[in-house]
Amino acid sequence: MSSPFEGMLEMLTRQRGVVGCLIVGEDDGIIVDVNVQVGIDAPVIAALAAALYRRARLSSEAAGLATVNFLQLEAERGHLCMAGRDGLVIVTITEPKAQIGLIRGAMLQSVETLA
Amino acid sequence: MRARVAEPWVEVPLQRFVDDARVLFALLLHPSGQVLGQFGFTRAVDVMAACALGAAIHASASQLGRELDGKPFRELYHAGRHRQIFIAETPTIRGPLILLTAFDTESSLGLVQVFFRNFCDMLRTAVPPVDEQPPVFTGDLERDLNRSLAILFGRARPPLADRGPSHPSE
Repeated sequence: MSSPFEGMLEMLTRQRGVVGCLIVGEDDGIIVDVNVQVGIDAPVIAALAAALYRRARLSSEAAGLATVNFLQLEAERGHLCMAGRDGLVIVTITEPKAQIGLIRGAMLQSVETLA
Repeated sequence: MRARVAEPWVEVPLQRFVDDARVLFALLLHPSGQVLGQFGFTRAVDVMAACALGAAIHASASQLGRELDGKPFRELYHAGRHRQIFIAETPTIRGPLILLTAFDTESSLGLVQVFFRNFCDMLRTAVPPVDEQPPVFTGDLERDLNRSLAILFGRARPPLADRGPSHPSE
């Protein structure tokens, strides 16, 4: 059975350097839909990324900065990108060489369709 | 606040779970209802009640799973308005144990599930061989429960073989 997020996940995972993409509930950290390469522990990433995004959103609101549009975690072996709306978070896992600008644009476009 | 334990080998895994998952309460118990360790409770009577209810809920859910799915449900989750509970079984060489935990918006079901997996792994490596320790349970539920509660709340000392490095002064 296909999910309403299947097209979005396909579009995001087609971006160069993307190794996986997840739609996660922000409050519970549970996967709603996922498209990741073999070997990626999606439930762990979902739970931790949702917690990270939630903390960032609360920090931003507490600082009077309003909504978090896009959150990027840069690590030695790649990036974790997050964008959320209405209790759902799009999480993208990328390689270091990925073009984050393009991925950011695609994620911000995709997040508009979340709800 | 530190986790209080009746069996020292459960202390490190339980404390790690509590720290990582940021839960409010955690209770590790035998399916009979006897407590092995707890975090967050301040009164023995609350631990006793939570153990009895947790064991009963787990037994009911297991039987329901057998009826519906042919095998027991291993995890149970309930979301309240402000707090949520998660009850799951963890296998050890000494038989299955049950973790009952309550958390609020500081944590999430996903985080609790992830760190529960880590907890199971840590418990599996921490459990001492059966022949190295006296039996945890003697078969007298009331006496065993009272003994565990007394150890948890500092009214009694653990068995000699249990003490080890976590009680260097004894």
